[in-house]
Amino acid sequence: MNNRTRMSRSLAGGAVMMLGLTLAGCSGGGGDASSRPENELHLAVYGDAGNTVEQAMVDKFNKTSDVKIVLDTIPGADYQKKLQTIIDTDSAPDIFFNWGGGSIANFVDAGLLLPLDEFIEEDPQLKDAFLPSVFETAVIDDKAYGVPMRGTQPVMLFNNSEVLKQAGIDAPPATWDELLEDVKKLKAAGVTPIALGGGDKWPTQMWFQYVFDRVAGEDLFQAALDGDTDVWDSEESREALGKLRELIDAGAFGTNFDSVKFTDGGSPALLASGRAGFELMGSWEYATQQDSDPAFAEEVLGYSEFPAIEGGEGDPHNLAGNTNNFYSIHKETRYPEEAAEFLKLMYSDEFVQEQVAIGNLPTTTNTEKFLDKAADPEYAKYQFDLVQKAPHFQLSWDQAYPPEATVTIHTAVSQFFSGQIDEDGFIKAMQGL
Amino acid sequence: MTVLATSRRPAPGGSPVSRPARSGASSVGRPGFIWALPATIFFALFALVPLAAVAVLSFTSWSGLGDPRFVGFENWETLMADPVMLKSLWLSLLFIVLGVVTQTPLSILLGVWAAGNQRNRAVLSAIYFIPLLLSSAAISVLWRALLDPNFGIPGQLSWLFGDGNLLGTQSGAIGVLIFVGMWQFTPFHTLIYQGAARGIPHVLYQAAEIDGAGRVRQFFAITLPQLRNTAITSIILMVVGGLTTFETVLILTNGGPGTDTTITAFYMYQEAFQSFDFGVGSAIALVLVIVATAISLVVVKVSGYDKMNSSLEGL
Repeated sequence: MNNRTRMSRSLAGGAVMMLGLTLAGCSGGGGDASSRPENELHLAVYGDAGNTVEQAMVDKFNKTSDVKIVLDTIPGADYQKKLQTIIDTDSAPDIFFNWGGGSIANFVDAGLLLPLDEFIEEDPQLKDAFLPSVFETAVIDDKAYGVPMRGTQPVMLFNNSEVLKQAGIDAPPATWDELLEDVKKLKAAGVTPIALGGGDKWPTQMWFQYVFDRVAGEDLFQAALDGDTDVWDSEESREALGKLRELIDAGAFGTNFDSVKFTDGGSPALLASGRAGFELMGSWEYATQQDSDPAFAEEVLGYSEFPAIEGGEGDPHNLAGNTNNFYSIHKETRYPEEAAEFLKLMYSDEFVQEQVAIGNLPTTTNTEKFLDKAADPEYAKYQFDLVQKAPHFQLSWDQAYPPEATVTIHTAVSQFFSGQIDEDGFIKAMQGL
Repeated sequence: MTVLATSRRPAPGGSPVSRPARSGASSVGRPGFIWALPATIFFALFALVPLAAVAVLSFTSWSGLGDPRFVGFENWETLMADPVMLKSLWLSLLFIVLGVVTQTPLSILLGVWAAGNQRNRAVLSAIYFIPLLLSSAAISVLWRALLDPNFGIPGQLSWLFGDGNLLGTQSGAIGVLIFVGMWQFTPFHTLIYQGAARGIPHVLYQAAEIDGAGRVRQFFAITLPQLRNTAITSIILMVVGGLTTFETVLILTNGGPGTDTTITAFYMYQEAFQSFDFGVGSAIALVLVIVATAISLVVVKVSGYDKMNSSLEGL
C-alpha cells in the first residue's frame, strides 16, 4: 500500500512545477503602469560573464537619472523559460535581453512590447548607429522592437590549417565544388573532413541555414517564416537538400557525428587534435579553442566565409548566425522615456570600448575605431568586415522561429543528416511548423 | 528512551510493578486520524492539488503568456494522433522492462553476497555504493564524456565498438541509457536486498544443511523465496524510476537520435518547457499518472503484495 501512495506522490510531485506556473500566470494578467515600483526600472539580462558591461552601463545611467535602473541577472540556461513565465505578470522587467526574431515574436503578438519607432524619430541614432543587417533582426511587421546590446556571432567555416596543408589544400574552399574536392582530399589523408557536433543538433542546423541561403537566397526562409509553407516543397528547397545529401554521402562528416557534441568539447577537440579539417561554427569557436590551447587558436586555426554555390540565388556574402542580442522595452513600463534614454547608451563609445575589452564584437558603426584594442585585432576586424559587408544576416533558424518550433526543427535536421528521413520527410516536418 | 528502559526493568526484589510500563504505551494512544494528518496535508498539497491543476490545464491552450484558454479535448486529440506520443509510451515500457531485467538479477546476487561475512566484503560494498552518491546529472555528464566516440572508451576499443556511434543509433542509445541506469541504480537495490538477506532466519539455512542442501540449492530454495516481498518493493521502485527517468535522457541523448529515445517523461518536458505548450505537456503528465497507476495496480495484484502474506509463516 505504502508503495502505491509513494509512487503516485512522486509522480504528481512533478506537477508541482506546473502549478507554480499556473498561479504565476493567473495572478498577473498584465497589470498596468501604476502597479509598478516608483522611480525604478527593472532590467533583466542573461546572466554570464558579460554582465560586467551591463552593470557598468547601468551605473553610468543611474549617476545622472532620478529613475534608477535595477539590474536583474537571470542564470543563462533558464533565461528564456523564466522570461516567458514572468513577462505577462506584474513582476515583468521593464527592459529585457533577448535574441530578436522569434524570441520576441510571441510577445509582440500578445501586445507586450513597446515599438521603438517614436524614439527613433526623436533620435535617429537609435537606428542609424547600428549595422542595418543586425538591426533588422528585431524589426517585426516593419516596427523596431529592439536595440543591439552585446556582440555579433556570425557562423564561419573554421579549419585546421596544418591538416589542410598535409592534405594538399592551399586555401579554404571558395565554392561548393571546391569544398567537395577538399572533402575527397581530406578523406584520402585519413581524417574526418568536417567535424560536426550532431548530438547538439543546432550545429547540424547551421549547414541548412547556409546551404538554403546560398541556393535559394534569403527570401525562401523569410517566406516560410511568414507562413508560406509551400516554399519548403519548391525546386530550390529540393536542390538545397540535394546538395546537403551530396555532402553527407561523400562522407564529409564521418559516420559517428550524432554521438559527438560541441558543448562538451568533442567536436572542437577533433579540429584541434588534427583529426578533422573543418568545422562550421559560430564565432565563439575561436574563444573555445583559445581556452584550451591559445597557441592553436592563434597560429593554426583558420577561418573563412561559407563557400558560394554556383548558380545559386543567394549572395555569397550573406551571413547566418546570432546577429546580436537586443534590449526590448515592455509596454507596461512606467518610464518609457527613461528606458529609451538608457538604450541610447548602446551606441556610445564607452559601451563599445567595454564590449571590445571583454572580447565581444558590438555592431555599431563606431565599432571599427576600437578594434585595435581587441584581444585579437585581426580576427575582430575580419568578422566586423564580414558583418558590415553582408547584404543579409540570417538569424539562426531556431531563433528566427518562436521557441515552440525549436524541437521540430532540431529533430528534422538531425534526422535528415542521419538518414532517418529523406527530402520528403524533411519537407513534411518543416511544413508542419 | 532511557525512561522507558529503566521503567521496564523489574523492580528490585522481584515485586511485579507493571503500572509504569503500561502507562508508557497508553500515553501515546492508538493510531488515529491525527497521526495521518501531516502526511495527508502534504499529500494533498503537493500531489492532489497539482494533479487537479494539471488536469484542468490539459484542457487549455497556454504558452505562459496571458490566461489559459479552454480548448476542450483538442490537446487530447492531438496526443491521440501523435506518433511520437505512442512511440514514447512504448519506449517507456521498454525502458522499464529492460531496467528490471538487467538490474534485478545483478542486485540480488550482489545484495546476497554483501549480506555475508566474507573478507573485504565491507570495503568492496562501500565501493559498489559510490554511484548512488552521485547526482544523475553528474553521472550523465561523466558517461557522456566517457562515451565520446573519438576521445572516450569507444575510441580506444574500436574492435568492439566500431566507429563508436553509440548515441547515433537507436539500439546503441537505448543500450547506453539502460547501462547507465544500471550503473546508477544497482547499488541502491543491492542495499535493499542486502538488508533483506540479512533478515532471513539462520535456522532455515541450518535446517537445509542438515537436509544436505548445497549452497546453490539453499539460494534457490531459501534465499530467493524469502526475498519475494523485497523483490516486489524493489521492482515497483524500478518501475517508477523507469517511468520518470529524465536527466539521463536529457543529457546523454536529448531524446535522440531523432525521437528514438524520447520517453514519455522527456516528451512532457519538451512539450511544456521547450515548446511552451503547457496544455499538451499537462495532458502527457496525466497520461503518465494513469499509466503509472495502472502498472502499479497490476504489479501489486499479480504479486499478491496487497495480501501482505508473510514469508516467515510457521517460524
